[in-house]
Amino acid sequence: MAEISTIARPYAVAAYNLAKEKNALASWSDMLGLMSAVATNDDMHAYINDPKVIDSDLEATFLKVCGDKLNEHGQNLVKVLVEYNRMTIIPAIASAYEALKAQDEGVLEAQVISATKLSSKESGDLVKKLEAKFSKKIEATFSEDKEILGGVKIIVGDTVIDASIKSQLQSLAYTLSA
Amino acid sequence: MQLSTSEISELIKSRLDDFSTSAEARTQGTVISVTDGIVRIHGLSNVMANEMIEFPGNTYGLALNLERDSVGAVVLGDYEHITEGDIAKCTGRILEVPVGPELIGRVVNALGAPIDGKGPINAKETDKIEKVAPGVIDRKSVSQPVQTGLKSVDSMVPVGRGQRELIIGDRQTGKTAVAVDAIINQKGQNMTCIYVAIGQKASTIANVVRKLEENGAMEYTIVVAATASDSAALQFLAPYAGCTMGEYFRDRGEDSLIVYDDLTKQAIAYRQISLLLRRPPGREAYPGDVFYIHSRLLERAARVNEVYVEKFTNGKVKGKTGSMTALPIIETAAGDVSAFVPTNVISITDGQIFLETDLFNAGIRPAINAGISVSRVGGAAQTKLIKKLGGGVRLALAQYRELAAFAQFASDLDEATRQQLDRGRMFTELMKQAQYAPLSVSNMGLTLLAANKGYFDDVPTDKVLAFESALHGFMGSKYKDLMDKVEKNKALAGDDEKDLEAAIKDFKATNAY
Repeated sequence: MAEISTIARPYAVAAYNLAKEKNALASWSDMLGLMSAVATNDDMHAYINDPKVIDSDLEATFLKVCGDKLNEHGQNLVKVLVEYNRMTIIPAIASAYEALKAQDEGVLEAQVISATKLSSKESGDLVKKLEAKFSKKIEATFSEDKEILGGVKIIVGDTVIDASIKSQLQSLAYTLSA
Repeated sequence: MQLSTSEISELIKSRLDDFSTSAEARTQGTVISVTDGIVRIHGLSNVMANEMIEFPGNTYGLALNLERDSVGAVVLGDYEHITEGDIAKCTGRILEVPVGPELIGRVVNALGAPIDGKGPINAKETDKIEKVAPGVIDRKSVSQPVQTGLKSVDSMVPVGRGQRELIIGDRQTGKTAVAVDAIINQKGQNMTCIYVAIGQKASTIANVVRKLEENGAMEYTIVVAATASDSAALQFLAPYAGCTMGEYFRDRGEDSLIVYDDLTKQAIAYRQISLLLRRPPGREAYPGDVFYIHSRLLERAARVNEVYVEKFTNGKVKGKTGSMTALPIIETAAGDVSAFVPTNVISITDGQIFLETDLFNAGIRPAINAGISVSRVGGAAQTKLIKKLGGGVRLALAQYRELAAFAQFASDLDEATRQQLDRGRMFTELMKQAQYAPLSVSNMGLTLLAANKGYFDDVPTDKVLAFESALHGFMGSKYKDLMDKVEKNKALAGDDEKDLEAAIKDFKATNAY
């Protein structure tokens, strides 16, 4: 994982710089999303990793599957990746690109996990609090997980604010057994 | 241990009191690989070097390699339950161990947790295990002696408070014995001792602890043990943990003595960690910074001046210097001192005590090679008594060795040479000393005085030690006041020398040995 993101970073930076130059951040985002979706498809994944497939066939097939959704630069990226045998890192490139884009736009992605569905007022308040804490715009995705029993767990990048009942019970268990 | 119901509920109550349920924001990452105690973690973007990392199951690790996309950490203790995909959390704390007088008399592991079954240690303070040594301004020159109680060490390679004196030799040459005797002799000398056992058999450590207990030395000693079955990380950290415990006393204007037994094993543990972290190997496969792990450790053994102590204690302790004396031990293979780690540590320390297998097997114990054992600062710190009387020992032994080699070829020797040989033989015999029997300064002075003045010359070589112990016994009973006076002054004042000589004559006239 670590190695893949290290390899993917220069490609993502190149794509991001090009997109910014051409003022096409959104369309690059779409293209990389599509490429990532195609590359992670099970059949395509097996095809990419098949040693019997020659480069020109892989390139043609991949571009054909993507169809006319890729512009000239997007197609060039596929060609470069095929040439350097780096097709497997497409999802990492896409996520690194999104991270760069979010950083540029001053947006942080937050994942909010709660045991029960939050009301719109609760979620709105939560996002406001988070925006104040991180002093950036927060794009929150909400999900539910009965496992955490109660409270919320918020993941923003590497930072985790764990206010779930489950983790508190766990730390109580450690305190008592230590 | 039996607990009553009320005690159990009391225990639970106190633990619940400490428990807080606040949710705090913590940086976390994902474990991507676990190999032989080394964990690679993705994420943890804000981790500090040497920060403690929390793994599931109340296990902690130490972040050692900070790379762009991953962190290499070493697990402190068991790592079998950590799996790929586990969450690793930053704690925001650098590794600390408990310090203070509460640890005295206890056996603890490298993290300061008790392993002697004597209940919890209620230390009031903790301190970082990695600290920077005092600088030039904070130091004071070494001028007070550490009495090891060994005739050969105190007279030929004296150790001062704040010195680093290496004990080096092959396996089974009595390295630990010298160090343990030095600890035993610190009784009543206002010295706190720390014995750090690294990578030794648990049974060996248990033996040392038992011997210390038998000799009443555990009353002022802390034992830090990282046994051979502990993880390499703990074996690597144990010396630093022990050092921090010793620094507590140094910084408060007290004296401490720390024994690292032994640093070869620490280097080996560090080599293992480094190779698993994929750091490039160098000479003997040790990483590039193997010199630094020992130099930064031994640099912390120092004598600090009054100003430092006063500043450190916020003026509570005034006009006292503090010291930490280190006796690192290095094991050589087949007497090879030019191997990597021995040369490093020899160059770092302020002198070394060489122990040799040949001498040990010849019955000369402690098996100290007087020719190549040196103390670079200890002379300034020697007690006046021993300095005055012990000066001739080194010379006599050096001349003896030279002549002994020469005398093997010559059949007829002149009287002067023969006398010198006899004298050398006598001194060699006199430097022998039983284990766990350190000598007081006055007794040592008495022996040296008798030897210098020739009172041993008519004693047969094989009777020298018997003569010595009989003399000590006689003086201890009949001339107790004189001996007490010498012990108190640690020097010969006025007519002391004459009185002592008269007493020795009295002994020789009236006693058989």
